[in-house]
Amino acid sequence: MKTIDFILNGKPIRSELSADRRFLDVLRKELGLTGAKEGCGEGECGACSVLLDGKIVQSCILPLASVDGKTVMTIEGYKKTKKFKAIETAFLKEGASQCGICTPGMVMATEYLLKNNPAPSYDEIRHGLSGNLCRCTGYNMIFNAIRRAAKEGEGLW
Amino acid sequence: MKRDISKSIDNVEGREKISGEAIYTSDITMEGMLYAKTIRSTIAKGRIRHISIPSMPKGYYTVDAADIPAENYVHMLHEDWPVFAENSVNHIGEPIMLIVGPDKEVIKDIVGDVKITYDEQTPVFDLSDSHKALEFTKGNPKHAFKKAHKIITYGYETSYQEQTYIEPQGFIGYPENDGVTLIGSIQCPYYVKNAVKTTMGMDDDKVRVIQAAVGGAFGGKEEYPSLIGCQLAVAVAKVGKPIKLVFEREEDMEVTTKRHPAKIHMEAAVDETGHIRGIRSHIGIDGGAYMGLSQVVLSRGMLAVTNAYTIDHVNCKGDVYLTNTVPNGAFRGFGAPQMIFAIEMFINHIAEDLGENPLEYKMRHMAAQGDLTATGGVFRDPILLNEMLETIMEDSAYHEKHKAYQDPDVFKGIGMSWFLHGCGFTGSGEQEKIRARIRLKKDDKDDVHILIAAVDMGQGPKTTMRKLVASLLEIPIENVHFKNPDTRYVTDSGPTVASRTMMVVGGLVARATRKLSEQWVSGQELVVEESYRQPDYVKWDQDTMTGDAYPAYSWGINVTEVAVDPNTYEVKVKDMWNIYDVGKAIDERVVLGQADGGQAQAVGYATLEKMEHNAGKLLQKNLTDYIIPTAADTPRMHNKLIDNPYPLGPYGAKGAGELTLVGGAPSVALAIEQAIGRRIYKIPATPEHLMELMNHEDH
Amino acid sequence: MVDNVIPKSLDEALEHLAKGDYQIINGGTDLMVKNRAWSETRLDFKKNMLYVRSLEALDYIKRENNVLRIGATTSLESLLYHEHVPSVMKECLHLFASPAIRNMATLSGNIGNASPAGDGLLITYLLDGVIVLVNAEGVRKVRINDYVKGPGTTDRRSDEMIKEIQLHDDAFDYTVFNKVGGRASDSISKTSFAGAVRHEKGIIKDIRIAIGAVAATVIKDKSVEHMLRGQSIHQLKEKIPQILEAYEPHIQPIDDQRSNRSYRKKVAMNLLEAFLRQIASKE
Repeated sequence: MKTIDFILNGKPIRSELSADRRFLDVLRKELGLTGAKEGCGEGECGACSVLLDGKIVQSCILPLASVDGKTVMTIEGYKKTKKFKAIETAFLKEGASQCGICTPGMVMATEYLLKNNPAPSYDEIRHGLSGNLCRCTGYNMIFNAIRRAAKEGEGLW
Repeated sequence: MKRDISKSIDNVEGREKISGEAIYTSDITMEGMLYAKTIRSTIAKGRIRHISIPSMPKGYYTVDAADIPAENYVHMLHEDWPVFAENSVNHIGEPIMLIVGPDKEVIKDIVGDVKITYDEQTPVFDLSDSHKALEFTKGNPKHAFKKAHKIITYGYETSYQEQTYIEPQGFIGYPENDGVTLIGSIQCPYYVKNAVKTTMGMDDDKVRVIQAAVGGAFGGKEEYPSLIGCQLAVAVAKVGKPIKLVFEREEDMEVTTKRHPAKIHMEAAVDETGHIRGIRSHIGIDGGAYMGLSQVVLSRGMLAVTNAYTIDHVNCKGDVYLTNTVPNGAFRGFGAPQMIFAIEMFINHIAEDLGENPLEYKMRHMAAQGDLTATGGVFRDPILLNEMLETIMEDSAYHEKHKAYQDPDVFKGIGMSWFLHGCGFTGSGEQEKIRARIRLKKDDKDDVHILIAAVDMGQGPKTTMRKLVASLLEIPIENVHFKNPDTRYVTDSGPTVASRTMMVVGGLVARATRKLSEQWVSGQELVVEESYRQPDYVKWDQDTMTGDAYPAYSWGINVTEVAVDPNTYEVKVKDMWNIYDVGKAIDERVVLGQADGGQAQAVGYATLEKMEHNAGKLLQKNLTDYIIPTAADTPRMHNKLIDNPYPLGPYGAKGAGELTLVGGAPSVALAIEQAIGRRIYKIPATPEHLMELMNHEDH
Repeated sequence: MVDNVIPKSLDEALEHLAKGDYQIINGGTDLMVKNRAWSETRLDFKKNMLYVRSLEALDYIKRENNVLRIGATTSLESLLYHEHVPSVMKECLHLFASPAIRNMATLSGNIGNASPAGDGLLITYLLDGVIVLVNAEGVRKVRINDYVKGPGTTDRRSDEMIKEIQLHDDAFDYTVFNKVGGRASDSISKTSFAGAVRHEKGIIKDIRIAIGAVAATVIKDKSVEHMLRGQSIHQLKEKIPQILEAYEPHIQPIDDQRSNRSYRKKVAMNLLEAFLRQIASKE
């Protein structure tokens, strides 16, 4: 039996599922991790964002094959980190989450952005979040939250 | 000194949402749960000749009109919208049946094998088939037009807008106590409950509706969920097991309600001094295949005909036209964004035609306290538009920019709109239709439970209602509880719509809280209830549409700055300055969050969000083709609030949610007009449209 | 049932390609969308699938003089931040797609799709790309304009896969990249334009012009480019109407749900003219 092996939130996973399965379905249905959401199923909205070897990807268009031998972090794993705490506090203080359906994806996008650029400008934030749609906030409070997370979480990234 | 209620606190649902722990409908699974997929019409209009169903494996079911125990219509205002199409279909995507079973792969195969043949009929797509006509008159418009020095006439057009909540619609239904329970992504638990009762012929205690976390709604989950809730209830009753029905994105965009496209005709009678003596208007909205809420949408649109201006003589007519397209319905603003676009553009166009400065011209017509509304009601409360205008002009450097951007070579522009929004249901709707009831319960630990049907879909009532009660009782917010509504436990406080939640429901909650406070005995359980009473001063005649259409109004001004690329005709909306009078914000950041979000939707409405159909088939049906603003598109927002407490609102609060969207589009369009030196009569002002305007020499 | 193969090496991938009919899937950002199905159910893949994205041997960026060699599984995001990648290409990558899509997608995948709206394809045309194809027998090189046959069709044989893309850079003095999409980011191009020029002492040494999404393939007219080489900027300035006229018949866009013919055509012509006028202004 061919298996697909990967590390998910620090834990090794061996999957016997077909390699063409959408990784989002594997997370939500097979592993019961529902923090990544399905908003569009076509890689457009970013609600399903996860980190693959530390890089943000859209899990709704990620074949299971692509995680073979790799490390995946979802919001369920990320929320246990110090960096998450800094982002969570900043999102709360700035009102960056309204309906919340895009928020776990926004958090993952924030992590990827800050990892590569610990003190981003507004313009860099705009482009960093450009794959994560939000219909509630108009984004401005998310921008402010990321600036706050970068400032108050200085040294974490 | 007491803390100012407006001072922001952390959103009480923030942590569970940020961490991905909040449970949305699609996150729920139940033991033995089945799935459902909808079979839909592929034609715009016709008779169903034959449905061929493949042999069904054991445990798989079809569910259709024949399975409905009672009424095959979705209980709303009219009885025309079927739960399942029976014999005939009236739009592409109309639901005909569900396929239900345990394995989605098998369901998918069955769906692929169901064949339907039709006798096609000629569909209607133009605005010709009126199913509801409304009209009202103020003063003597006939005379005003007869005496007019000049009559100025223009037409305006607005397009579809998709709510585009990021969470598609869905429910899980399961059998419970010989009845049915539904958990779903909904705005109005009692709308769903009442619709299911009607379709199922069930008693009140047999239908239970519970709200899951809602991933955005904006009106899109006001009436449409009643349709799928009814379908699922029929399925659950037939199959006797839990069933999940969640839409895919494309399915959601193709079949759910949208903002009505509108055509608006405006006529003004102007006197020798240039003053507008009278306005005549007709608004036609495309209702789609069934009436749904279109009549009320039309009404709210018509009531905005003179916006925040006082015009002495008004005649406004409107029609809901049915077409063989997806039914249109509620979307934040509910008819007002269409009409406010028309009137704001119109008044600017009139001023330009008369050679007047548009800002001064608008100011001369600005509504003031004590003036009569378009329907002859009274603006009773103070109107602070002048103060608001002063602030926003300074913040945005409007005058300097407006002057600098007169240079046609800079391709920049600044535009301004002001507007009002009537708070709560129109006329006597609260009193006669909704009759909100709310309940507060104090338990023996002295914790207070808010038992209302209001839904937090991101707009914050979980936070603001708890804050309201905690503040009035002077107890910690942790001792006040407000769970997602479950019709088994909460009273019908009405739908979560029409910017009514804080002003109307919150008003009742505040009253009940005071009652609770008076009767408070520590350690004892106590329940108090309140129900809606229309303020005595509100006088409304629904037949003639005259009197006080709303008990109160919220007010706003948007200023927008844009740059247009002369090579690509793309619009960059750079900055928006906005100021709102929502009476009193129960939480400043919650209202400012509504502002940012509403404005971004207005920017999309004005520039990006193009949706059209070809012979009844929508062309932009996914997030790639239907363009909503991304983080890179959204303007910088500069928002302010001004206090103007409304005596009957809790702490003075009025409506807020819709206000932030209704007037944005004309401010964007007026800025574009300045940038390109051409007039705009329709939105969205896409680059394709701007190219046509800019290459047209004769303007 | 379709066969799903995740090869561990290039040789293993080529072995499979030699044996049977496989659909190569790289980052999947196009194929996963095109073949999407009801959530939690199988995608609509009809062929055996060969997942090459994890072939690390093809994840590289190398530069040899003016030739940039990009391995087939190199992500767009790696390219965006790599020192060897020219700025015009970085501008393209920045607007190409969101970070998540850039992390998944590859240039070879974009070329393999051969969509006339593909932004990566446009840059490959601009930089006179050569596609290095490999099968079990060996390697062959095809120029991009010969490789792309039409929308979605290429010169690749079923036993071959793209191994590398070779781009021919120059020490350009002035470059532009314009993506005209539905919004500022995360969109499919309605039309796109890339231009590059190198001049010495007022004489044009190299000029490249590529226009996307306005015909069945990217427009790049070598005869016009050759004609302009060696001419002075002043001569170019005078020839602008003729140059525009030369491109005009090639620009044959379509109407679709994202835009319309006349807009695409007008904008493409505007961007071309703006590029030429910018060069002319450097006289």
